[in-house]
Amino acid sequence: MAFTVDIDFDNPDLTADTDLQNEIFLQVFNSGDGELFDKLYRDDAISNFSGEPLTGEARLAFFKEFLATKPQLQAEVTHSYVAGDVALIGVHFVIDGTDSEGKPMHLEGNCTDVLRRGTDGRWLMAVDRPVAGSLLPE
Amino acid sequence: MAQLTGDVEKHTALYVEAFNSGDADAVNAMYTEDAVAVWEPGVPLTGRARIESVEQWLAAKPKMTATPRHSFVTGDTALLIVDWKIDTTDANGEPEQLTGVGVDVLRLGEDGNWRYAIDDPFGEK
Repeated sequence: MAFTVDIDFDNPDLTADTDLQNEIFLQVFNSGDGELFDKLYRDDAISNFSGEPLTGEARLAFFKEFLATKPQLQAEVTHSYVAGDVALIGVHFVIDGTDSEGKPMHLEGNCTDVLRRGTDGRWLMAVDRPVAGSLLPE
Repeated sequence: MAQLTGDVEKHTALYVEAFNSGDADAVNAMYTEDAVAVWEPGVPLTGRARIESVEQWLAAKPKMTATPRHSFVTGDTALLIVDWKIDTTDANGEPEQLTGVGVDVLRLGEDGNWRYAIDDPFGEK
């Protein structure tokens, strides 16, 4: 899909703007490209989308698999606190798609995200944690 | 006396110790300079206001217990999910117990010690 947000995947930046962060995150998630989505995370970032903390290659492998069926994410920011080079963002999310067996999938919940601004000024994901525990169906 | 640690797992226990000692300076030393605390839901405090709110809280000599439930630690940034309980007195001097699930973001400083950057005690409802 075409991105309407301005993002350079060689130097990805979620920016300091909470609404723009959310929009970039949504568009890249909804593109279905797990490799691009993983670029929004710092190298040592921890993602709990799978229900367990994943980093590095395991995180990338999960994103590629989970996004392959192009689940569609909607998210609304519920709160946001910025303390210098780190931010805590709360979002309410809804995901609709089909599972690996082709059955409809609907997920809904809250997610806590920690973002970090690197020394080069770019903001990226450091930790995500869905409060329900996982983005996967029960 | 402030006690800081390079072991994020120990940070919560040291914080509880400082809090229960009533030493506001020791508690405040465990925050980064630009830390945000949200001890009243929806009212984030920073800088001087945050420091003074710690002093006000500790004036009632509250006692805290806290148990980390999850910790997610990256190189220099950590997210802790903490079950906590505080026994204190309310404005009328009556005993009051507060409980919550805190969402804490910590940063590893250049001195090798972890400090709170964001302290959201009612972060998970």
